[in-house]
Amino acid sequence: MTKAQQNYFELFGLEPNFSIDVPKLSAKLRTLLNSVHPDRFASSGSQQQMLSMQKTTQLNDAFAVLKNPVKRAQYLLQLKTGIDTSKEHTVNDPEFLMQQLELREELEEISSSNDIGKLNQFADKIDELEVAQEKQMSELFSQEPLDTDELQKAIYKLQFLHKTLSDIELAEDKLLS
Amino acid sequence: MALLQISEPGKSTDPHQHRLAAGIDLGTTNSLIATVRSGKAETLPDLEGDHILPSIVHYAKDGTVSVGKSAKLFVCSDAKNTISSVKRLMGRGLKDVQKIKEFSANQLTASGTGMPAVETENGIKNPVEVSSEILKALVKRAEDSLGDELGGVVITVPAYFDEAQRQATKDAAQIAGVKVLRLISEPTAAALAYGLDTGSEGIHAIYDLGGGTFDISILRLEKGVFEVMATGGDSALGGDDFDRAIAGYLVAQANIDKGDRSAYQMAMIKAREVKEALTSKESVEINFMHWKGSMDRALMESLIEPIVDKTLAACRRTLKDAGLKASEVQDIVMVGGSTRVPLVRQKVEDYFGKKPLTDIDPDKVVAIGAAIQADVLIGNKSDEDMLLLDVIPLSLGVETMGGLAEKIIPRNTPIPIARAQEFTTYKDGQTAMAIHVVQGERELVEDCRSLARFELRGIPPMVAGAARIKVTYQVDADGLLKVTAEETITGVKSDIAVKPSYGLNDEQITSMLQSSVSHAEEDMKARMLREQQVEGKRVIEAVEAALAENGDELLSKDERHAIEEALKQLAYIIENGDIEAIEEAIKVVDKSTEEFASRRMDASIAKALVGHEIDEI
Repeated sequence: MTKAQQNYFELFGLEPNFSIDVPKLSAKLRTLLNSVHPDRFASSGSQQQMLSMQKTTQLNDAFAVLKNPVKRAQYLLQLKTGIDTSKEHTVNDPEFLMQQLELREELEEISSSNDIGKLNQFADKIDELEVAQEKQMSELFSQEPLDTDELQKAIYKLQFLHKTLSDIELAEDKLLS
Repeated sequence: MALLQISEPGKSTDPHQHRLAAGIDLGTTNSLIATVRSGKAETLPDLEGDHILPSIVHYAKDGTVSVGKSAKLFVCSDAKNTISSVKRLMGRGLKDVQKIKEFSANQLTASGTGMPAVETENGIKNPVEVSSEILKALVKRAEDSLGDELGGVVITVPAYFDEAQRQATKDAAQIAGVKVLRLISEPTAAALAYGLDTGSEGIHAIYDLGGGTFDISILRLEKGVFEVMATGGDSALGGDDFDRAIAGYLVAQANIDKGDRSAYQMAMIKAREVKEALTSKESVEINFMHWKGSMDRALMESLIEPIVDKTLAACRRTLKDAGLKASEVQDIVMVGGSTRVPLVRQKVEDYFGKKPLTDIDPDKVVAIGAAIQADVLIGNKSDEDMLLLDVIPLSLGVETMGGLAEKIIPRNTPIPIARAQEFTTYKDGQTAMAIHVVQGERELVEDCRSLARFELRGIPPMVAGAARIKVTYQVDADGLLKVTAEETITGVKSDIAVKPSYGLNDEQITSMLQSSVSHAEEDMKARMLREQQVEGKRVIEAVEAALAENGDELLSKDERHAIEEALKQLAYIIENGDIEAIEEAIKVVDKSTEEFASRRMDASIAKALVGHEIDEI
């Protein structure tokens, strides 16, 4: 009578949606872990310990995906349509490609100028773009039927912005050290 | 046999039994053991009233093993049979440790597995055995003073300890014959000690500067849940570097040749005195060999400042990993003797913008925190009490083509966790694949730590790139890793519990266990039977408590009856059977409760979700 594997949203008692309140999700994770974590079973039988480890692993895994907008979008798209965007994929959007090149150039320039103020401004700009992109993603996911082409593009864009943010962090690390 | 049991509905029929548990700080120079007594955690002293046990073991020719103060007496007179700082050898290869100066007097040699070992007149001793002697001494101290056997212990390890070092620590406990409830990291233990005393919610930073290592951990405490957000540090940075910087100055002033080792040794001792004196005084007079001079605090601070700055750089990186700014940290806990240096306190205060906490003895705080956690894990506290969520300190990866390390689980991922990655064959007809498990942040495998190598064999010959090999890494709540590899098209499987490259295998542990027991002249069989009986009783107790809690709502009459029958059988066999029979009966109970256990887990999740929803409203 084992239940079919729950998806990540179900594990947290959520409907599969792109919009998620991450702080709330994190509070929910803690509540759930409070009742299933292996530390609660340190003096129970090995079977209970095993189950608790599996459950906790699942919850930790699910949380890692749901808290990250790119992974969440990829997971949701795959859940709804079976399309896997986690591997390398290309998207044909010349306009975005141009914007991408410009943003990369801008980052390189700022990194070599060693200007931390400019770097922070640039980070704010990317942050804004990312917020807008997440908003669009949320709208795309609420359409019926799903526009899978647009969604794949949107995921690709979000992924790029995320990568740029982590590159900014690396540049900042270099500047500060 | 009980004739009649009266109990309130929903309450366990078993009267709650207080179990003894202890926390152990297994340190490089000193070790301590602590326990919770009448609600208060405290370290336990030896008969002379000393709480600290020097982490020193002496092996005499006649077979006597002494630990602690009595072993310390031999440090000078019988250096080669006396082992100090054994923690530095744990989980390391011989090559890693040959340069460590602490072992210059000892004869280091390779044991069968490439693990370093020390030649003594009482035989070759590996670091795991030596550590187990320290653990035994601590456990004995606790059992003597508490008057009963310990049900389990929590042992602390540096946050930066890798897989191999953690495994070695756990092996040492196994050889010492003590049940490990959990390994937790030292900074986390320190936070537990403070967090519970002050009950303060929010973000805590634990700044732990010992003699030779520096750890920084960022934790969040919310509604009794302690969450490690990030850890970082430097495993080769500590108070000894302060001494070295000061000694360098003394040697230069006295115009002594840098190669003069004995003069340098003296300079190190002098440097330590100067450092300690300048903790309270503004200036000290120095007589070092033929040189007479003085040093004020400002001069010393200029010498050690670059080292303190390095610790702050590590703090910055770790805060970043946690996604936080220094100003968001609510308080900073200071651990380790080197945090007594005023400049350290000052610079930490400047960096975080608030005064660090220094009220618990920095030498005892780790053991106290471990004792608190042990008390929770052994079940002396109710469920609503605190929960500790830890992370892996270093990324776990696998070697890919070209000697590159590909990360499978990045550092600071909460544990327990499992992650899978797919690989494929690169040659036509390839039937085996070597899997090299590594740990570390660097890109090249040679810069990372090698944890284990194993092979997946029996892959059916296919064209290159056609096979799908899924490698799964699973890390448990102690931070220990298990790796499985599976060819997903055919289902060919291979798995190993990662026994680190420089660890002990199960046979070695068993043989050490046997020899350690025969030393104590206790019959191995009898001891194993007793352990199995205890285990059986533990199972019965756990199942009975579960039945009392929600057997009625989750089980049909028949299901419940089947479980109770299995329990009865086990209870009988515990009194009348041998080791194997008990083991078998436990398996039967496990089998009979499988479904019940799973329903209980689901029910508790459902309950938690509902509870959470109510909290939100």
